[in-house]
Amino acid sequence: MTSSTSTKTAAAEATPRRRRRGHNFTTTDRAVLSGLVGGPTILHILLVWIPALCTVALSFTYWDGIGGLNEIHWVGLKNYQQIFTIYQDFKPAVRNNVLWLGFFAIIATPLGVILAYYIDKELKGTKFFQTAFYLPMVLSLAVTGIVWDYIFRTNGFVNSVMGNTDAQTAVSWFGDPHKNIWIVLIIASWRHIGYVMLLYLAGMKSVDPSLHEAAAIDGATSWYTFRKVIFPSLRPVNVIIIVITVIDSLRAFDLVYIINRGRNGLQLLGVLVYDNIFGEATRIGWGSALATILFALSIIPIMLYLYQTFKKDK
Amino acid sequence: MSDMFTEEGVSRRSVLKGTVAGAGALAAGGLVSAGTASSADAAGAKKVSVGSNQSDPAARKNDLAWVAAAKTAGFDVKLNTVDHNTFQNQINSYLQGTPDDIFTWFAGYRMQFFAKKGLATSISDVWKKIAPNFSAGYKNASTGLDGKQYFIPTTWYPWAIMYRKSVFKTAGVDPATIVTWADFINACKTFQSKGITPVALGDKGGWEAMGTFDFINFRTNGFKFHMDLTAGRAKWTDPRVQKTFANWATMFPYQNNNVLDLAWDGAAQLVLQKKAAMQVMGAFHASIYTDPADLADLALFAFPEITPAYGREAVEAPIDGYMLSKHASKNLANAKSLAEFISSDKYGKAVLAVAPTALFANNKMPKPSDPFALSQVNLVNGCKYIAQFFDRDSRPDFAGTIFQSALQKFLGGGDPKAIATDLQQQWDALPPA
Repeated sequence: MTSSTSTKTAAAEATPRRRRRGHNFTTTDRAVLSGLVGGPTILHILLVWIPALCTVALSFTYWDGIGGLNEIHWVGLKNYQQIFTIYQDFKPAVRNNVLWLGFFAIIATPLGVILAYYIDKELKGTKFFQTAFYLPMVLSLAVTGIVWDYIFRTNGFVNSVMGNTDAQTAVSWFGDPHKNIWIVLIIASWRHIGYVMLLYLAGMKSVDPSLHEAAAIDGATSWYTFRKVIFPSLRPVNVIIIVITVIDSLRAFDLVYIINRGRNGLQLLGVLVYDNIFGEATRIGWGSALATILFALSIIPIMLYLYQTFKKDK
Repeated sequence: MSDMFTEEGVSRRSVLKGTVAGAGALAAGGLVSAGTASSADAAGAKKVSVGSNQSDPAARKNDLAWVAAAKTAGFDVKLNTVDHNTFQNQINSYLQGTPDDIFTWFAGYRMQFFAKKGLATSISDVWKKIAPNFSAGYKNASTGLDGKQYFIPTTWYPWAIMYRKSVFKTAGVDPATIVTWADFINACKTFQSKGITPVALGDKGGWEAMGTFDFINFRTNGFKFHMDLTAGRAKWTDPRVQKTFANWATMFPYQNNNVLDLAWDGAAQLVLQKKAAMQVMGAFHASIYTDPADLADLALFAFPEITPAYGREAVEAPIDGYMLSKHASKNLANAKSLAEFISSDKYGKAVLAVAPTALFANNKMPKPSDPFALSQVNLVNGCKYIAQFFDRDSRPDFAGTIFQSALQKFLGGGDPKAIATDLQQQWDALPPA
């Protein structure tokens, strides 16, 4: 009770002060402020927005990256039209990105939150589980690749347990385009769960213990407290986790690139962008169009979500 | 073939290096091997810079050997070695920035491509002097679309069917009797019945199976059709392409099941470990044989005939060598002089001293004494036509992404008709070359 009263008073005091703020700046203050705000803004525009807009512009062209600007030919929407109709790797890539997002959103992220909930109860061996779940995040991708390769290769652990490691008849987990994406999703979740768990755990540690007490006094069970009290009070952490989930699934690249260079069932938009722009193919226009599509896919849901969230704050 | 030697895995660091460091690393980061510090003995020496993709330790040894020989011949060579994958991926920006005077490259379409784009310097005058060192085929392979020469061939290697003599002996199969496709399939059946995987294939990298495609295509439809197809003069929707795919499909029952989970060296391991009998591979298959006893057991035979009219007249034998960048025009006399040196047997002898199984384009070089190397020479000498390799004979923007993906689809059981239609559509959508 006391804490909420004091918050109210503080808020009441803060309001008039905020109103006055604009008038109190000296010239030096203004100069320092505009330097501090302006510098990063200029850098941001220069390094993020101008290249992004250039990418969008290049997506309407043919260019093999050789020769000057006069070698760039405008082709309008042709790249987009062809990517959507005849580019054979595009549909699998979009499907895999969506699958990745769905898998993370429905399975991996909630699992991480649930793990955090149990670990926060400080049961016996908490430290051990906390470390064990976070370990995959610490391992380098090269190690991750080797570990899982030993498990799923043709003469690996899983096939040995299933009793068939023959080169001609055994299941090829990484080679079969209908199976390999699921293996990759398991590996990616194995890393993602620990990450979400740690972020959430950090958030839960910062929750005021009096909230727990109040809920307990009112007779709420621990799970009910979590759902109705703790979870809503952790909204900033929830926002971060949702944004991370969306971004991580859309920009996924390294894991599939290590496994088979992101081909044969493991196509992702990020890989297609890389292969077309940086490989020997250097289809700059085509790759830029793919990058623009990926950009739109990433930014629209996040902007919508953030807009929704912060609108309520006002 | 771009990443033949460093295919196994790409670390995040090398990916980053590829994206960020790119041309900068190529220009600044190299390894200086010749004695640039002692300017006294370098005075009067002809300074030339060389960009090399020979980052593999064995290949780098070859570079160092000939650079040392060049030093005694009065050159001050600055060798910039760059990771093989990075070099390949960054080649466009490298050649447009401030490239080295001379750089490692391949014969075929990809050489002609840079010549046409004005990123290479013609060396026709050098060729007038060095022509006697090479057979006419090499001169053709060094000639751009404009009829001028742009390339100095150095070494080459053939593709064929690699096998272990002991495995064939135990199974009672004589490789000399495998001439026709029926012979080949029969041999496969014999191995199958003895519990050995007849053919090992790995296509995780996407490029490995191009070798098999090339062979089956020019054995089925002839060399001319194959070259027309790779260059886009023939259509993928041509019924002859379907014949190629159909013939290839007859091999599938005799293959390992994890084709798309093995890189070339993974498949080669199956042959080395005697789990598989044969692999259609380049002669660099031998590079995974570390035990000399195993190496002595390795042999090769020509890919079997399919259409009798075409016999076994063609072979796949990529040629490696050097080109002069457009930047070399600032140091033209020295660069051309070094090109001449590279074309001579002085270069060949220096490399031969450290790589006894290497095969040289220069006809002044002695015949190899190593039996495996000798069998490669004999294989190619008996052929009328030489192809480079699909990704050296075709457009990089087609071979690199589109065709590799289509081949993997075919190997994964995709419908060849649909794949051919898709290929043609995607070829047609490419910007005019």
